[in-house]
Amino acid sequence: MSKYIKSILFAAVLSFICGGLLTLASTGLREYQLRNMTLDKNKNILKAVGLLDDQKSYPKEAVAQLYADNIRQMWVDGGGKLVEEKKDESDLPVYLFFRQEKIHAYIIPVYSRGLWGKIAGYMALKNDGATITGFTVYDHQETPGLGGEIEKKWFQKNFEGKTILDDQGTFISVTIAKGAVKGQIPENRQKHFVDGISGATMTGKFLSAGLKETLNKYEPLSERFRMNEIK
Amino acid sequence: MKITRTKAFKIFFTPIWESNPISGQILGICSALAVTVQLKTAIVMSLALTFVLACSNLLISLMRKHIPRNIRIIVELTVIATLVIFADQVLKAFLYDVSKQLSIFVGLIITNCIILGRAETYALGNPPFHSLLDGIGNGLGYSQILITVGVLRELFGAGKLFGFQVIPDGFYALGYENNGLMVLAPGAFIAIGLIVWLQKTVSKE
Repeated sequence: MSKYIKSILFAAVLSFICGGLLTLASTGLREYQLRNMTLDKNKNILKAVGLLDDQKSYPKEAVAQLYADNIRQMWVDGGGKLVEEKKDESDLPVYLFFRQEKIHAYIIPVYSRGLWGKIAGYMALKNDGATITGFTVYDHQETPGLGGEIEKKWFQKNFEGKTILDDQGTFISVTIAKGAVKGQIPENRQKHFVDGISGATMTGKFLSAGLKETLNKYEPLSERFRMNEIK
Repeated sequence: MKITRTKAFKIFFTPIWESNPISGQILGICSALAVTVQLKTAIVMSLALTFVLACSNLLISLMRKHIPRNIRIIVELTVIATLVIFADQVLKAFLYDVSKQLSIFVGLIITNCIILGRAETYALGNPPFHSLLDGIGNGLGYSQILITVGVLRELFGAGKLFGFQVIPDGFYALGYENNGLMVLAPGAFIAIGLIVWLQKTVSKE
């Protein structure tokens, strides 16, 4: 047998075995992986409304129970109406936080550009359609210690209580300031700004833009909450 | 014959200290910088690499008489890549949080020069048992540096170990501050540099 045919045969057999083994591993573990992904997503949604503490770890069952008891996923259609099923490609996902049968807050997924890559998180807004009650980041590629601080509690806590509307009731989003808010932003506008991270001006700039874009997309829904059309 | 004189013992222990892949041969630095901010990720990375290195050495050594010379690098890489993807899948299924933190670095074990280096220079020319020992030894050598750097960086960078606060609050009240440099990649360079220095000084004696 010539040298080349032997090489080709060897490579073919090896690829076949390796490919087969990987397929087995991947299909066998798929169920566990999907379960982990859902759990991780649910955890972050619960964190956004303050039902989970960032510092502690929770057993899987507790997270699943807490999620089932409090959160329901729905979709927002083009007119800002809540619908049970996704009907149109442009429908947006939203997670509703129920307390005593009433919507207490709604949670929207946030995807933003960062300095090095994408930033993904959740923002929770109160049922008045204007006040932010929580913000979490679960995925990013920012520099640890600088832009990476966006995943930290101290940064995310700043968002609580801020409002996305100005005094006239028009949408202006929330902005990450360059440095501390106090002493830099006029008193009456401080409620639209959160403290920035020193050394991470660009991350703040990109995230501000991303938040504005996301909040703007959900404006039809927020408006309905403001008009008290959704209970 | 004393056990410390046997060939197997030497194969196993030389890479742990004398010719340590990181501090002795300066290989595999990239991952050592990236995953050592916390001790937990450093340990999981060490386990993953040791597993891949031991298995790849064993498998390649078993096949060494049949691998055609002209495609040997491709064969080695196929074996290594299969093992790495397998390790990655297992981590995603059972240690999801850690695998998220390690992100791309598990996949990058494929390009870690320690593994291909050991396959080329050792496993291709030596019997399976010795190759397995060589793989585990090199894996542990890599691990001990990674874990040492992980301890240093998490302790001085965040005041924690395994995510638990170990530096008491009283120290911070007295004006102690976490060292921000330790959290960044240059901190790892400095830590590894110090270890290389220590090792070269000790082995000379």
